[in-house]
Amino acid sequence: MLLNRTARALVFVAVSASIAAAQSPADGLLMPKKVFSPGVVYSQDSWSEYWEGTLKRSNGNIGRLTTKSVTFAAGYGLTDNLSLLATLPYVHTHASQGVLSDMSGIQDLTISAKYRLLRFEPGRGVLSAFLVGSVALPMTKYTADFYPLSIGTGGGRTAARLTVNYQPSDGWFLSGSSAYTFCSNVRLNRNSYYTDGQLYMTNEVRMPNVVENSVSAGYRRGRWQLPLALVQQRTQGGGDIRRQDMPFVSNRMDFTRIEGGLMYALNVPENLSLRIGAGHVLNGRNVGQSTTLSTGLFYALHF
Amino acid sequence: MIVCASLLAGCDKSVGPFEVLPPLQPSSMEPTAGSWRMILLTGPTQIAVAAPAAVTSPAYVAELDAIKTSQAHLTDAQRKAIAYWSGGGVLRWNQIVRELVARYNLPPAPRDEGGYPVPDAENPFGDPAFPFANPVYAARAYSYVSAAQYDALKTAWYWKFQYNRLSPARNDQSINALIPLTDLPSYPSEDAVISGVTVDMLKSLFPAAVEEITLKAAEQRNAALWSGKATASDIAAGLALGKAVAAVFLTRAGGDGMRTAGGSPAIWKQMADAAIARGEIAWESKDVPARPPMLPLFGQVRSWMMTPADVIAQRPAAPPSTSSQQMKDETAEVKRTVEHLTNEQLAIAQKWNDGAGTYSPPGHWNDIALEYVRDAKMSEVRAARVFAMLNMAMHDAGVSCWDAKFFYFNPRPSQMDPSIKTQIGLPNFPSFPSGHSTFSSAAADVMSYFFPSGAESFAAMRDEAGISRLYGGIHYRSDIDGGKALGGRVATFTLNFAKSDGAQ
Repeated sequence: MLLNRTARALVFVAVSASIAAAQSPADGLLMPKKVFSPGVVYSQDSWSEYWEGTLKRSNGNIGRLTTKSVTFAAGYGLTDNLSLLATLPYVHTHASQGVLSDMSGIQDLTISAKYRLLRFEPGRGVLSAFLVGSVALPMTKYTADFYPLSIGTGGGRTAARLTVNYQPSDGWFLSGSSAYTFCSNVRLNRNSYYTDGQLYMTNEVRMPNVVENSVSAGYRRGRWQLPLALVQQRTQGGGDIRRQDMPFVSNRMDFTRIEGGLMYALNVPENLSLRIGAGHVLNGRNVGQSTTLSTGLFYALHF
Repeated sequence: MIVCASLLAGCDKSVGPFEVLPPLQPSSMEPTAGSWRMILLTGPTQIAVAAPAAVTSPAYVAELDAIKTSQAHLTDAQRKAIAYWSGGGVLRWNQIVRELVARYNLPPAPRDEGGYPVPDAENPFGDPAFPFANPVYAARAYSYVSAAQYDALKTAWYWKFQYNRLSPARNDQSINALIPLTDLPSYPSEDAVISGVTVDMLKSLFPAAVEEITLKAAEQRNAALWSGKATASDIAAGLALGKAVAAVFLTRAGGDGMRTAGGSPAIWKQMADAAIARGEIAWESKDVPARPPMLPLFGQVRSWMMTPADVIAQRPAAPPSTSSQQMKDETAEVKRTVEHLTNEQLAIAQKWNDGAGTYSPPGHWNDIALEYVRDAKMSEVRAARVFAMLNMAMHDAGVSCWDAKFFYFNPRPSQMDPSIKTQIGLPNFPSFPSGHSTFSSAAADVMSYFFPSGAESFAAMRDEAGISRLYGGIHYRSDIDGGKALGGRVATFTLNFAKSDGAQ
């Protein structure tokens, strides 16, 4: 009896810990089979300087731009090798100076399937590889024509991602991940726009695809996880923001960002896990030098 | 998922083509266009064009041989150029000017030490670039290009029918007509006239774009030659004529008041003080840092069809006093509107935004006009007439609107109530009357005169452009109504000219 209870407790801890982490397509983790884990993440991102093309500057008509979001997330372990993940954020943007209106609304629903391609034990630790396919679609008709205050690009996206994870038995891990995102064209409410050195006489904007590469390392053991990551986004085309122009939806938005997190599975109440995260853009092009703080809460349901 | 990804990757994401211009096949040769009333020239003979060599002369035969040689070795790039320019010179240059306006329609960035630099025509490649092609700069630029093209083409038509020299493809059966051939006399070449007049106007209006403008103009002349439409002497005569007409318009432009339209800090203060002396709240820039007002003396720039006295006589009556109940109500209406904006209203605000970085409100109406002109299969000279009237009316609308804006110096809604946030950029000049409403009203009236079947649609566009400023949170309702009324009065002056110019 005692043994039984101890074993169950240990299982819950392990389950909760991996749930907390396995909410991201980029990490090297899967949901346990038949576990459904809904959660909510609050995130606040802000910047007061941005790159106009490659020129770093501030803008008195924006001051500090703050983006707050509440993301509803859910994960489900379909099999031991296949997890489904979904996220849907509500986003609010605000400029601290100037007259430009706040923007807010429900943004894009992203659904991902994460499949473990291989699991290999080279003697010491575990090497595994994951393939992730994602589809994202705007859920509301928010405007993509009001950057930097727009809450999103307003276009559909399909992404393919490969992640390789190595975890020695002592709790440390190292992983690398690359994703290619195909972005569908976006339509504006106007029939002409100027970008990338050309006047386009159409309401349709060709959206460049996006490459993302990341490396992460950290510690996972028991109730704790401490990942640290370096993420690089490279947009495959698009124009720079012109001098003193507003940003545009198809701009070449590149950045390198450092991210850190802390996840902890609670003992009481069980099945609940907490996480906090922080990120900072080290350098970029046509993006704000933002700092992001987030906190989330996830619950595990067993079927 | 992977299937999805590969499907998307394979699909064609290219946008365009834009504003397709089929090869121009004008419905009329316009044999009387040489007698149509001029804008600036005293008449078509003000620019003399010497008689061409006879078509039997060795010089002309040599020119024909040169075309045959060119046609025997046409590259894909040359064929592409012929196809491009076959859409019509007036229409192509209209597209190019809109692109230039969109490129240069950006305000100077603030200096690190505070304040703003002024765009400098003597240093057009600097930061800031010259010009800042704001709505009134753009209105004037479109009007100078269009009016100069129009006078140049009427002059060309006069000499064409004076000399009646047919096109090379008509004169020599072994020359291929690579564009639809007409019986329009080709001396002087209308393509060369348009290239010559336009390139000189644009070099002055957009000096930093000189290289590409010059290349485009040369390509237009070459396309006329390669396509069997004009010989070297047709082109030389046309180019000289175009440049001579440009010189007349550039002389006017040099003295039309634009150079001093920026005013000075003392003048800006006088304008504010005058509003305060009338008991009104004076307009203030809401840019951070505060930016000097946009061309506050543009109201004194010369109009095309109105005298300075006309401008003052047509000035609208004063807007509601900033201390009146009506102003309070209208400010509250703006706030209520932006705070309960529907998706449809936001779409309208964005459709007609035409703000910084775009081809501007006058450019939007050129965009609208192009398809009507194209579909009417107008000759180059008649197409030029439509754009000249449209753009002169919008220039005059800009002058009259700016006169009233800076006379009344009325604050924007966001100044009256700082809690009003805008859905589009807040223009950096006084509120009353609405510029877009004034431009659109003048444009809609001119377009309705030329294309009566579209009148209902033009009126709907005028009204939508007007109300878009309320949805955007940048204008009161009385600004919009005042602008529409003013634009209509201004258009009357242009239409009085159009109705008696001999081209009806």
